[in-house]
Amino acid sequence: MSLFSALSVSASGMSAQRARAELLVENLANSETTRTPEGGPYRRKDAVFATEAQPSQFASMFQDELGTGVNISEVVEDTREPDRRYLPGHPDADAQGYVAFPRINPAEDMVDLMGASRGYQANVAAIGAVKDMINRSIDLLR
Amino acid sequence: MPIPIHASLPITSPAIPQIPTPTARPASVPGSFGELFRSSIQQVQGFQQSAHQQVEQFLSGETEDLHKVALATQQAELSFDLFLQVRNKVVQAYQEVMRMQI
Amino acid sequence: MLDPISNRLERYMDLLSSRQKLVASNIANADTPGYRTRDIDFHFEFMTQLEGSDNPNVIEAQGLKVKNDGNNVSMDRETRLLAENAIRFNAAASLLKSEIRVLRSAIQEGKQ
Repeated sequence: MSLFSALSVSASGMSAQRARAELLVENLANSETTRTPEGGPYRRKDAVFATEAQPSQFASMFQDELGTGVNISEVVEDTREPDRRYLPGHPDADAQGYVAFPRINPAEDMVDLMGASRGYQANVAAIGAVKDMINRSIDLLR
Repeated sequence: MPIPIHASLPITSPAIPQIPTPTARPASVPGSFGELFRSSIQQVQGFQQSAHQQVEQFLSGETEDLHKVALATQQAELSFDLFLQVRNKVVQAYQEVMRMQI
Repeated sequence: MLDPISNRLERYMDLLSSRQKLVASNIANADTPGYRTRDIDFHFEFMTQLEGSDNPNVIEAQGLKVKNDGNNVSMDRETRLLAENAIRFNAAASLLKSEIRVLRSAIQEGKQ
């Protein structure tokens, strides 16, 4: 019943949203990258969110299951065929003059980024509200 | 000559003035101090009861008027504090009276 | 030692804490595929007070739109609940403080 576990739940939300934002930023930065160390164009990365049970610091076996945090269970790479554009003069052009570009829609990823930012801020607000409640409980002592 | 003592004469002790016992009810006298005290206790209890009622209504969701609850609670608190202060003054006055040399 | 109204206030605050934890979980999982909004039936849990029952029943919130990935968290709802729970908690804490204050002043005045 302690509110402290709510803090770690919100913290996990913040981490997950930040990781998601980082991946989106990476996608945006590499939206035109045609060569990578692994060979081939950059492949779009996506984060998969999943719930995670939160053990609070003083967890006992009968601890409440009210708080469920979140984490990134895996990062999936785009397995679709890359976008082929006809650019014969390009250094990475193949025999037919096509260059493989990443399948990234920057507008889509920008909107996703805004979503991640909003999610992050909501978790920050949650931490603020919970922290306030904890302080008010301490206040009862005065 | 001995005075004949008639058995018919009742033997009574000289009249002793009756001191009213403390267990008598001074409050039955209207306007007396005990009555004042009792009514102020009742008033404080009344405020407290109504405040508790308001709080219970807020908790059960019957009323959302937080300001009413807050005011009722403060009223109860204030009337209680006032009562305590008045009581202290009364006790002080009583002690002073008792110290008086008659 | 404190009167019955204080027990009610304490129970109210307990339930609000539990509810706020669920709100935090919902916010953290706002983008988790398949996650359903969790809540407690606050009024029911409060009115059926059982001594020492720490864990209220967690239920799925009804009437929420489900997105394509199976998630039905409404950020508006959660933000509103976040604020409401905090305000109610603070109100109850202040009322409890008042009860304690009255008791304390009675004890202190009695010392004289």
